[in-house]
Amino acid sequence: MRAVRIGIPLAALGAALFIFGGLMHAADTSIPIYFPNSKLIVKAETFNRATYIPIKEIIEFMGVPYTDARALETLTIRSGNSRLLMTKNSALMSYNNQILLLPSPILREEERWLAPIEFLTIGLTRLTGTEFRYRPGTPRIYADNVDSPELEMNAQTLGPITRLTLRCSVPLNVDLKRDNQRAILAIDRPALDPVRERLDHRDRMVRSIIFDDSDGDAKIVLDITREVTDMRLTGADNNRVFFLDLLEKKELVTEAEPPPVVTPAPAAKPDVTPAERKVRVVVIDPGHGGMDTGAKSASMVEKDFTLVFARKLRTALQTRLGMTVLLTRDSDVALDNEARSAVANNNQANLFISLHAGYSANKLDHGSSVFVMKENFGQAFTTSAAGRRDQLFLPWYLGYHTHHQASVSAANVLQEELSKAIPESKFAVRTAPLAVLSSATMPSVLLEIGNFNNPVNAQTLADDGFQRHLADALVNAILRFSESPQAAAN
Amino acid sequence: MPRHIKISLIVFGIGGAIAMGFFVDIVGRVRSMVNERETEENPFKPPAQPLYAPTDPPMAVKIFFPAVSGDSLLVAEDQTIFKSAEIANRARQILQKIQEGPGHDTMVAPLPKETKVQDIFISEQGTAFIDFSDTMATAHPGGVLNELSTIYSIVDSLTYNLPEIRQVKILIGGVEKETLAGHCLLLLPLDMDLSITNVMPHEEKSAQLK
Repeated sequence: MRAVRIGIPLAALGAALFIFGGLMHAADTSIPIYFPNSKLIVKAETFNRATYIPIKEIIEFMGVPYTDARALETLTIRSGNSRLLMTKNSALMSYNNQILLLPSPILREEERWLAPIEFLTIGLTRLTGTEFRYRPGTPRIYADNVDSPELEMNAQTLGPITRLTLRCSVPLNVDLKRDNQRAILAIDRPALDPVRERLDHRDRMVRSIIFDDSDGDAKIVLDITREVTDMRLTGADNNRVFFLDLLEKKELVTEAEPPPVVTPAPAAKPDVTPAERKVRVVVIDPGHGGMDTGAKSASMVEKDFTLVFARKLRTALQTRLGMTVLLTRDSDVALDNEARSAVANNNQANLFISLHAGYSANKLDHGSSVFVMKENFGQAFTTSAAGRRDQLFLPWYLGYHTHHQASVSAANVLQEELSKAIPESKFAVRTAPLAVLSSATMPSVLLEIGNFNNPVNAQTLADDGFQRHLADALVNAILRFSESPQAAAN
Repeated sequence: MPRHIKISLIVFGIGGAIAMGFFVDIVGRVRSMVNERETEENPFKPPAQPLYAPTDPPMAVKIFFPAVSGDSLLVAEDQTIFKSAEIANRARQILQKIQEGPGHDTMVAPLPKETKVQDIFISEQGTAFIDFSDTMATAHPGGVLNELSTIYSIVDSLTYNLPEIRQVKILIGGVEKETLAGHCLLLLPLDMDLSITNVMPHEEKSAQLK
């Protein structure tokens, strides 16, 4: 008896869900339709997971005549000698003498005629000749030959800052506004086609990043946290690329340790202004991380040494040269090689330095090496008959090729400055097929320092004073390279 | 305690015991599978074929080993193998010599001791696919130069002595790995590079002799 008492309401609930669930109605959304010189915002509705758009509003906007026969419950749209007839609650339409089938029936709600979004391409395009384009699942439609440049968004946590990178094939005007806990990037360009509607990036400074053009004006809305105290918007590549940096108070003091006492380096010319330096963004890659410890000495593992030294080098570059310096990792995390070079590529770095510690079977060895990518590596695997169009699709492992000569110049400068600063150690320039350099599209080098298998050398490498001295030598080298003709400016 | 709760508890207890039994059995099976994989003595494994026939003539080869010091990263050591009919068997003999290590203390062994060559395949295009055991990566001490020596000790020893092998593609544990120890790219086959050795290429050598 008790089971019957519970069973009957459950069965009733199931039946109700089965019968009425089909007519579940999701919230209305605004969809802009971009025409060549104008735009129309329509309220779209969702029934049974199908997107419905109001037909009459669209055809009125396009100036197409129609007849709404209430008694017959039909809507007839005319264009020239052609006629498109549709009936309430039917997925069939009559176009001249043809029958057209829509994926779901046409609905009528009081004065509104609602048709599934496919009506535009199946019915209206045939009748009027106006083509409609839309990506399924995206809330915007492009009519006729409206130019819809793709907009790519990418967000990264780079140590103390969060960076949103925007890329577009055409120049944009972007304006940054802050509205309490939201940052809004207003883009003065209609009919943009975002590759992704929202980014799944979430960190301590940003909760969500969403592209929104529901009112016809393109904008990116960032839901930011109270950690963000400042924001910086920078344009690059003739305003085709924009970087939005979310900064917190600690950003300028990047180290937990006190900033080093900076002494002017002998190579730093006092009359050189930052404007004359071509290298503005340097990406430093502390090798290994996470489960990948790298080489081991008696007292230290390579992943810790590279991170500590990378932080020191960052501080030295920021304080002495005022450069923008990013680390590929600022904690003990594992990263694959492609992700490391991607940080440099995505941030338009002018120089990429990967830091490693050496390990030689010879316990007395204490030499270091500056590596560049092996010349012509991987070129045998590309099609020699590739046309100009195919060159757009460069295999990732050939990213190094364009700046190979500049990489060699950078390595030579590093070798000279390091040999000058640490004369007791030998620094050799070598080439190797290195994964982390292969896809870096800027001058890039890998520095392998010392020998972890040499107990004396390992102790020296761990010394704070030695690390600062080494960082100073590297800053001198980067300054020299930055002023050389081989350095590539953005 | 009411009777129905007692019954429920007993049923739950029996269910839990059965579930635990299944779990233990599954864990045991997985472990035994892993152990089987690691066991070298597979009863279904065909007996090892000799790498050369007694009638095969000897063949002088240069095996490249990492140098302890000096300008060259790799130094060649003259050794002898037997000219077996199959190129893959000659390659196996060369790899065996690399595994055994050098005869002089001016050079070091390039491979971790426990490394095994699991399989060799040579394509028609002259690419040798060498599959090493996981140990090669897991027991590698690291360092860019060290990794470079390990890789080119294999590549140069094979391509220098066997002209039929033009490139070498290294696999680890039966699969393609991005790098050996985090540095050198292994996704593409590698060509001979004698610039890091104390040996000059064949064509330069013959030009000098003329």
